[in-house]
Amino acid sequence: MSKMNSYDMFVEMDKMDGEIDVKIKKKKVKKKEKLESMKKEMDIDDHEITIDELELKYTTSVTKGLTSTVAQQALERYGPNELKPPKGTPEYVKFARQLAGGLQCLMWVAAVICFIAFGIECASDDLASYDNLYLAIVLITVVVVTGCFGYYQEFKSTNIIASFKNLVPQQALVIRDGQKNEINANMLVVGDLVEIKGGDRVPADIRIITAQGCKVDNSSLTGESEPQTKSPECTHENPLETRNIAFFSTTCLEGVATGVVISTGDRTIIGRIASLASGVGNEKTPIAIEIEHFVDIIAGLAIFFGFTFFVVAMFIGYAFLEAMIFFMAIVVAYVPEGLLATVTVCLSLTAKRLARKNCVVKNLEAVETLGSTSVICSDKTGTLTQNRMTVAHLWFDNMIHAADTTEDQSGQSFDQSSETWRALARVASLCNRAIFKPNQEMVPVPKRMVVGDASETALLKFTELTIGNIIEYRARFNKICEVPFNSTNKFQLSIHELEDPLDLRYMLVMKGAPERILERCSTILIKGQELPLDEQWKEAFQTAYMDLGGLGERVLGFCHLYLNEKEFARGYKYDTDEMNFPTSGLCFAGLISMIDPPRATVPDAVMRCRTAGIRVVMVTGDHPITARAIAANVGIISEGSETVEDIAARLRIPVEQVKKSEARACVINGGQLKDMSSEELDEALMNHPEMVFARTSPQQKLIIVESCQRLGSIVAVTGDGVNDSPALKKADIGIAMGISGSDAAKNAADMILLDDNFASIVTGVEQGRLIFDNLKKSIAYTLTKNIPELTPYLIYITVSIPLPLGCITILFIELATDIFPSVSLAYEKAESDIMHLKPRNPRRDRLVNESLAVYSYFQIGAIQSFAGFTDYFAAMAQEGWFPLMCVGLRGQWEDIRLQDLQDSYGQEWTYSQRLYQEYTCYTVFFVSIEICQIFDVLIRKTRRLSLFQQGVFSLCSTRNPSRTVSASARLRRQGHMLRRAEFHTLQSS
Amino acid sequence: MFYIVMTALFALAIYVLMYTLDPYAPDYQDRLSSPGVMVWPDTYEDEKVVIAYNASNKKSWMKMVNSIRTLIQPYNDTLQEHYNPHNCTAEKYFLQNSFNGPNHTKWACAFYQSTLGDCSGIDDPTFGYTTSQPCVIIKMNRIIGFLPNNGTGLAPRLICTVLEGSENVNGFEYHPYNGTYDLSYYPYYGKLAQPTYVNPLVAVKFNLIRQKTAQIECRVVAENIAYENYYDPFEGKVLFNLTSMS
Repeated sequence: MSKMNSYDMFVEMDKMDGEIDVKIKKKKVKKKEKLESMKKEMDIDDHEITIDELELKYTTSVTKGLTSTVAQQALERYGPNELKPPKGTPEYVKFARQLAGGLQCLMWVAAVICFIAFGIECASDDLASYDNLYLAIVLITVVVVTGCFGYYQEFKSTNIIASFKNLVPQQALVIRDGQKNEINANMLVVGDLVEIKGGDRVPADIRIITAQGCKVDNSSLTGESEPQTKSPECTHENPLETRNIAFFSTTCLEGVATGVVISTGDRTIIGRIASLASGVGNEKTPIAIEIEHFVDIIAGLAIFFGFTFFVVAMFIGYAFLEAMIFFMAIVVAYVPEGLLATVTVCLSLTAKRLARKNCVVKNLEAVETLGSTSVICSDKTGTLTQNRMTVAHLWFDNMIHAADTTEDQSGQSFDQSSETWRALARVASLCNRAIFKPNQEMVPVPKRMVVGDASETALLKFTELTIGNIIEYRARFNKICEVPFNSTNKFQLSIHELEDPLDLRYMLVMKGAPERILERCSTILIKGQELPLDEQWKEAFQTAYMDLGGLGERVLGFCHLYLNEKEFARGYKYDTDEMNFPTSGLCFAGLISMIDPPRATVPDAVMRCRTAGIRVVMVTGDHPITARAIAANVGIISEGSETVEDIAARLRIPVEQVKKSEARACVINGGQLKDMSSEELDEALMNHPEMVFARTSPQQKLIIVESCQRLGSIVAVTGDGVNDSPALKKADIGIAMGISGSDAAKNAADMILLDDNFASIVTGVEQGRLIFDNLKKSIAYTLTKNIPELTPYLIYITVSIPLPLGCITILFIELATDIFPSVSLAYEKAESDIMHLKPRNPRRDRLVNESLAVYSYFQIGAIQSFAGFTDYFAAMAQEGWFPLMCVGLRGQWEDIRLQDLQDSYGQEWTYSQRLYQEYTCYTVFFVSIEICQIFDVLIRKTRRLSLFQQGVFSLCSTRNPSRTVSASARLRRQGHMLRRAEFHTLQSS
Repeated sequence: MFYIVMTALFALAIYVLMYTLDPYAPDYQDRLSSPGVMVWPDTYEDEKVVIAYNASNKKSWMKMVNSIRTLIQPYNDTLQEHYNPHNCTAEKYFLQNSFNGPNHTKWACAFYQSTLGDCSGIDDPTFGYTTSQPCVIIKMNRIIGFLPNNGTGLAPRLICTVLEGSENVNGFEYHPYNGTYDLSYYPYYGKLAQPTYVNPLVAVKFNLIRQKTAQIECRVVAENIAYENYYDPFEGKVLFNLTSMS
């Protein structure tokens, strides 16, 4: 089954390739041929042809390799063997993107309108005011400055990511002209004969010619956690499944192999997956959608108001041009100039906070995306798990014991007092060829580098941790001979002298596939006693074996035998080919099972995601049983949840009769997924809250993400391998692992977990939700003052009073005094446990909805306007201009040629004196707005709680006292204006 | 409902505000520390006062004449006698602490058109604009409670200087002859207390050489009248261009 799936992956990739092909064809006819030829090469048959044919095909020799000249030519023709970096967006495009968001566009439009209005004013002989010009310049400055700021932020995080890239060029051992040479891997060409050995990265896609115990780790390509054996035979028609092809960028774990390079660079399988990723469009971030929605509201209101007052102005009898200027001014007045800066600063504050917790965000807007995430599609290998085989369980004394699988050995250990355990441990340590690489005494055992295959490594580390220095231990038991593991007899044995020099017996230790080991045993060790292996024990063994296998673990059986002292006296010549020693009738010691264990923090993090209403779906390339076991282990499939198959098995009815809705969990593998229509997939995702996808291809991961998005979810994808990169790109937010992640994954991701800690995602979710809440507060705060800024102008037009609030003052409010309080709201603590709420519904819970706009604009905004006008009229009246006198005064008031305008008391005013009075009014109105805004910020501090629950002075206890600072700074700044206007303000308000 | 309450609150606030205001004098005169000065005819070019007329073009000089006429209309001798019958003592502040005038008002001193002599328009209804000897009238803005020279008893005087083109001006004379604004017009008690108050005027008759322009500054000199405010060119002085074309 699994082989079929991988084959599908190949076919799908071809399809995808075709799609890309078609797309590009439309755009660039030139590239067509190149792609066609590339596609042809993709139909790999190199694994099926004989070596002679292979030599012929690539005009090479499997003994001498290519000649240097041919290699040189080929290099020139096909280019270097490296993945073309995804076409990086040019820096100026990145910068331009910073200038082209929703809010930015609004401000550009406003700036253009300002210029037009200024032009009109200039053209008409009226004395042009420079306000419009200033406004336009300020608008543009704000956009550019925040653009620079955002660009700088992203530039910084890009740098952090770039620093992770491995800059050391990879070396490859190549045979050319019959000579072995070490060259840079990017110089390899098709037909080159290369040698790989344990620890190397496979430098290109190669057809294996010879191999000795070669195993490669395909986890970054397919997500399989188990090493794959590579050998010269063609074992499968599918190039991905056959043993005789090793893939570019996978790691050779052990053994040696030589092979002929069959494809290089972007033509390799990994190159194609990478290009699949670059063919996937990026999704718009939810916050960008929210801001667009918000801009729609603003623009709608602005035009509505503008048009209304345009009509009113025309009706009152203004000239068309004048009314037009009013229209423009109103539209522009609606633009919240300060909001852009507020949003950018709030987001980058959170980005910074996240960076401190080792989440680097590539795109500022992605900060919030995690907060809205409702589904996390997580890769298994390397993301949920440690990508490292570890001993998980032991079975001896007819008991299953759990080993400590945590990364830092902080977990519980099992009872080690049994005699059987000692025997088992001895077998496990002696019958093991893996060794630590030298000079690692200081490194904690789990992190040490080991030469050896994955399960031997696991056993070595396990024994090192449980019984101590293994090298020394092995030295005490002098090894006489050994038979390494091979696929025919499926066991490995070695014969040792005993520790006790007086005991002259030899000991045979053996490990291997449990059923094969059991066949060879006649006794079993229970509590140190050798008991005959009867049916009862065999039954017990079977149960344990099934149990451990059911956990998705790889099980090995261990047995030993003390050889008869007389028959095998000291100096007996052991012959491993002849097997002149007993290999049956052994004493069974126990089973040890291994798994790639979940990271310690994962179960808790999954749990917290679930309480936060986020669904965690596992999408892996690994086998269904392993996937399911890990899923159950980390809580993706919760305890007691059953799949359809489980229910069928429990009720003893056919699978078809089970009601699908009864099964909470569901494991779907790639093969099933391939036969499902997208509707069926959607249905499956809806019916089963706990989903595991196994054996999925990169393309299928993409389909799963798309399906989730179709269901209205905001999808986060976590992954580390190249096979995850298309899905990472497609997701609303792609999260790559910083340490284990491949470059392709990091390139495609929006966020990178520097410490590979899945739990950081939970922090990210929390911060994202918090910033959404706080942005809402900030925006509500910022929007409010729009109305008191606008109404003076509206009243000025309609009632013709002297202008109560000037343009520069408005800009001062927007860009100076109110930025700080609105940014300070970003520091607001969470009001309730936001991690116990469901993720927001992107269709319902908008950043700015109508009720928030109405509340801000027409309630708080109205109150502020009334306050402002009260103060304005008070200031006017107390200087001699009674409110009724003000009405209709505009024409005379603004007449620069009128130097003796009489006020209500009969005093005469020159133009400049009136202007000065107007400025006083600006100040009065300004101070009124500011005082109202101080209370507004207190109102906005809380959305759900009462201010007293949250605490008025929680600002003092929070980590950042910015609000106190900003409030006092603002007051200080207003100080000189206050002094001028304090009488008016204090008396009237 | 919300808006009704808000409007009611607003109305209440305005009502209370109006209730607390003194009907005779404003609470603050922050912007009126020093009176503005203006010249008639008040014809402008852009933001500058430019008095340019063509003595042989009736339309041109009538504009000037009408401007002055409008200004001095209330100063008609008979009107003044009717409205301001009180006999004022010249060269003394006319301080009134109680409302002795009719209908609970304060007296205001009359200012007769005839005081302006040659520029009164009585003898020459064209105020000299058919010749090269035009009259201009300088008025100082009224401010409640303003006492020129801080009550030292010195009357504010108008002093005109020719800043540019002094060779184009043969000479000028003030009406009243010394160019003073008599102290009896100060202080001003406001529209409600002195409904019949008129600002004292000073006329200046220039003797110009035709076709030529002169820039003239007329400043009211008093200790507490500022004249160097950069932002207010009309505070304490007025600057104008005077051109007579044939």
